[in-house]
Amino acid sequence: MNDRQSSDRVLNDALRTIADEDARAGASAAVEAHVMAEFRSVAAARRRRVRARVALLAAAAALAIAAAIPLWRSQTSRREVTTAFMPLTYGGVPIVDGHVVRMEVPRASLASFGLAPAESAEGAASSTVLADVIIGDDGLARAVRFVRRVGPRDRQQSIEDRQR
Amino acid sequence: MDDGALLERVRRGDEHAFARLYARHQSAIHRYALHMCGRAAADDVVQDTFVALFSHPENYDPSRGPLLNYLFGIARHHVVKRLAIESLIDPLDETADVGADHATPLDVVSRSELVAQVRDAIQGLPPAYREAVVLCELQEMEYAAAAAIMQCPIGTVRSRLHRAKAMLTAKLASLQTPPLATTRPTS
Repeated sequence: MNDRQSSDRVLNDALRTIADEDARAGASAAVEAHVMAEFRSVAAARRRRVRARVALLAAAAALAIAAAIPLWRSQTSRREVTTAFMPLTYGGVPIVDGHVVRMEVPRASLASFGLAPAESAEGAASSTVLADVIIGDDGLARAVRFVRRVGPRDRQQSIEDRQR
Repeated sequence: MDDGALLERVRRGDEHAFARLYARHQSAIHRYALHMCGRAAADDVVQDTFVALFSHPENYDPSRGPLLNYLFGIARHHVVKRLAIESLIDPLDETADVGADHATPLDVVSRSELVAQVRDAIQGLPPAYREAVVLCELQEMEYAAAAAIMQCPIGTVRSRLHRAKAMLTAKLASLQTPPLATTRPTS
C-alpha cells in the first residue's frame, strides 16, 4: 500500500468514527420542548382562526335568513286576493271530510256568481281565472271561491281600500 | 407510518405526529448544522427548521424528494444565513492544486487524537467543501441526494468531496511532528 492509499484509509476511518460518534448526537431537550411549545401555539392559533371563520359564516347565514324570512312572508301572504267561498249545487249535502282543489275555470263563470271580471296580474287577456273548489270525500263539489293574483300596484290599492 | 402520512396529520394539528417526525429527523439535521455552523447555532437551526415545517407544511412537495431532503433544504437556508454568506458557492478554483498528492500517511498520532484533528480540520474547510464532507461522509448520503440539497450537479459534489478530502489530508499531514509531508527515512 502506498502513502496515498494509506492516508486515504486513515482519513476515511477517522471520518467513519466521527459519523458513528455523531449518530447519537441530537438537539438538546430544551430545543425539543421549545419546538413542541411553538407547535402547540401555532396549532391553537389555527384552530381559533377556523372557529372564527365558522362563527362568521354562521352569523352571515343567520343574518341572511333573518332578512329573507320577512320578505318571503310579505311576498307569500299578499300575493293573492280571494272571494268568500260560495256554495255550489251540492253545497247543502253534508260532508264528513274534504279537500280544496285549485283549478282554472273560464273567466265567464265569474258572471254566473254575480262577479265582475276584474283584471288579474296575468292581464285581462287571460281567458281563465283561478278558483279553489271544496270537494267532499264523496267527490261532489260543495263550494268555490275565486282567486286573483295581485301585483304591487294592486297591493297598494288594497291597502288604501282598507284604510278607507 | 411514513413521513407523508405523518405530515398530513401535522397539517391537521396532530401534535403526536409532529413529535414523531421531529424524533425521526432532528438528529440528522442537528449533525449537519453542528458541522456547518457550530454547536451554539446547531440547536437554533434545528428549531428554525422544524418551526418552518409545521408553519408551512403545504410547502413540501413529495414529488420532489423525501421529507428529510426537504428538511435539509430548510436547514441549509438557515445555515447559509448564519454563515453570513450569500450561498455555499465554491470559493476555490476547482482545478487548483492543494498539495494533497504529496501528503503522507496519517498513522503517527493516536486514533483519538486523529479523530479530534479531523474534526477540527473539517471545521477549517471552506463551507462548500465542508458541506460535501458532512453530507456524503458524515451523513453517508448518496451523491444524488447531496447534489439535490447542495443545489449543484452530482459531478460537482464528487469533485468537492475529492478535493475536501485532499485538503483534510494535507492539513493533517502538516500537523504531524516532525512534518511528514516531505520527511522520509534514508538508509
